[in-house]
Amino acid sequence: MEAIRTPASITFSVWKALFLREAVNRLRTGRAAWLWLLLEPVIHIVSMMVIFTIIRMRVVGGIDVAVWLMVGMLGFFMFNRTATRSMNAITANRALFTYRQVKPVDTVLVRVSLEGFLMILIATILLCGAGLFGLGIIPVDPMAVLEAFFGLWLVGVGFGLMASVVTELVPEAGKIIEFLSKPVYFLSGAIFPIAVVPPPYREWLILNPVAHGLEAVRLGFAPHYHAIPELSVAYLYGFALASIFLGLALHYRFATKLITQ
Amino acid sequence: MIIVDDVHKRYQTEHGPGKWVLQGVSLIIPPKVSVGLVGRNGAGKSTLLRLIGGVDHPNRGRIERGCRVSWPMGFGGGLQGSLTGRQNTKFVCRIHGHENDISHRIAYIQDFSELGEAFDEPVRTYSSGMRSRLQFALSLAVDFDIYISDEVTAAGDAAFRAKAAAAFTKLVNRASLIMVSHGEGTLRQFCTAGIWLDAGRAHWFDKIDDALKAYKESLPT
Repeated sequence: MEAIRTPASITFSVWKALFLREAVNRLRTGRAAWLWLLLEPVIHIVSMMVIFTIIRMRVVGGIDVAVWLMVGMLGFFMFNRTATRSMNAITANRALFTYRQVKPVDTVLVRVSLEGFLMILIATILLCGAGLFGLGIIPVDPMAVLEAFFGLWLVGVGFGLMASVVTELVPEAGKIIEFLSKPVYFLSGAIFPIAVVPPPYREWLILNPVAHGLEAVRLGFAPHYHAIPELSVAYLYGFALASIFLGLALHYRFATKLITQ
Repeated sequence: MIIVDDVHKRYQTEHGPGKWVLQGVSLIIPPKVSVGLVGRNGAGKSTLLRLIGGVDHPNRGRIERGCRVSWPMGFGGGLQGSLTGRQNTKFVCRIHGHENDISHRIAYIQDFSELGEAFDEPVRTYSSGMRSRLQFALSLAVDFDIYISDEVTAAGDAAFRAKAAAAFTKLVNRASLIMVSHGEGTLRQFCTAGIWLDAGRAHWFDKIDDALKAYKESLPT
């Protein structure tokens, strides 16, 4: 007869099992799924680079356009993949709620961890690859880069926690969130510099925490980069923590409702 | 011991809340007593099992589990189609804290489920018989004090059913059962006490025969 497990040890073993399972699922479903994880950002970056080359834009905000694009894009993917993958975590793992140890919030937390982990690997690989082409990919201020990446991830976590509950309780909301998140790609300044937008409209754009994150990542790579003057890492983190709190509160409030039929 | 206290349950339908399936069910299932659940189709037998197993929650009332209770065996969920039988098995062992002797348990499940090479194929390629054999083997491999069985003895072909019955008999020595079955013989074989579900209420009988009798008398002739 074994000892009765503590709640913490049960949760930990659930997280471990879910993490391994999600990792297998993510890397093995479909043909060469692991390759597409890498290729998707590459395709985005390269296609934008081609466009920027055609319009003869060599430098953005004082840094090489290739570095500007690549770093921004990786930061955006950090947020976007974390947010969108975790948003569907509950639906995708519904079969597992047969085991009462598995709570909806576990599936979301495990997915955001896995996406964060994979994005760190992907970013490292792609940056090293870009280094082989002679791009200046050594960040001048590595801590600032990590801080910004982590902040972007946290915003993704907060978004995922909230959106996973909302889409589950109100299925129509999923469609609206998807629709609203389309322009985020453009509005975050991943493919055009927010700094060129004149002030009355920029005030709106900088409400988006992802825009702050992307500018902060670029600034960490090259301190001479002309970031937007309103850049605030504190805003990024404040937004992230508030949304995580709200997301966890939603999960706590609707814990039973999410698995009740 | 399981305490079911004034449990009400109804499901959400497309037109708002549905009719009450369980309406004030109160029971105390003592330790080491195997119970058979009888009642007509739609009386709420599976619903009650799911509530006891903690898969679903009552709208009102509460359920206390003072011991390790299995998930409802034979219930369709719990397997992810895109993963192989082995990967699903590992997952179930891990969440139940059987990390240390996992290879031993996997070997047992592979052997008992008689899946052979299909064990390493995705579960979505399985037939329903293969699925339920895997589910049955999974629940046997994890240690519980009470096993919840929803018609699992009906899984698989005749040979597997015999094997399942033998495994159940062995199980009864160390754990107890809460089971739903439409086979009277199965119920008499494994259960001592009985619960008759009728019109959203539960009636407890110390002898399974009395429960079956009450159930049969309620049927229109």
